[in-house]
Amino acid sequence: MASRSKDKNLAFLLVVGLSAWLIPGAGHFILREKARAIIIFVAIALTFTVGLYVGSIGVVNPVEGKLAYAAQIMNSPMVTVLGRVTVNNHYSVFGKPNEIGQIYTSIAGLLNLLCIVNAVYMAHLQKAQPRGA
Amino acid sequence: MHLITALTIATFTTPEKIGVTPLATLWLLPLAASIAVVYKATKVKRVRAADFFKESVVLFASIVVFMVITALVLLALTWIVT
Repeated sequence: MASRSKDKNLAFLLVVGLSAWLIPGAGHFILREKARAIIIFVAIALTFTVGLYVGSIGVVNPVEGKLAYAAQIMNSPMVTVLGRVTVNNHYSVFGKPNEIGQIYTSIAGLLNLLCIVNAVYMAHLQKAQPRGA
Repeated sequence: MHLITALTIATFTTPEKIGVTPLATLWLLPLAASIAVVYKATKVKRVRAADFFKESVVLFASIVVFMVITALVLLALTWIVT
């Protein structure tokens, strides 16, 4: 009985974590933290979009910018679609736009990683101390 | 409709022109704002507009102030070394 409850809890944490990764803020939305979810979604999506606008989609490059790509992919698994488009170097970008674009998109990814961890932690706390208790 | 879609896609397939000038450092401001907002969204117990805004502004200001201090220290170091 206790094992089944533990499995359920683990599955819930996994769902929250994966949702938060799939769409920034979705993890908090599931936890009924709507204001927090909206703030997170708008801030991360805007930062990522500004990065792409400044440096073009070429800043997402899984071949020449592996380290940045590792951080960018934390925005959402959908970043891999961009990675596939730019992998042939048709959208090469250099210099300051590349630098700023990579910084913006990578920081957006790392911020989402922070939000994923936070959402999972909040879900864990909610399960440990149910609302109203 | 197709023209709007094409123009929107075009803005994301060609990089903007940004020179290596002191003004380019201003790009840190929107990023610092974003970091402050997201960090505070994960930290505050309850999201209330006024408190949240105040805390985000304080964090944003402290990030910018420490960046300026770091820049000044680095500038002083290079001035001493060279």
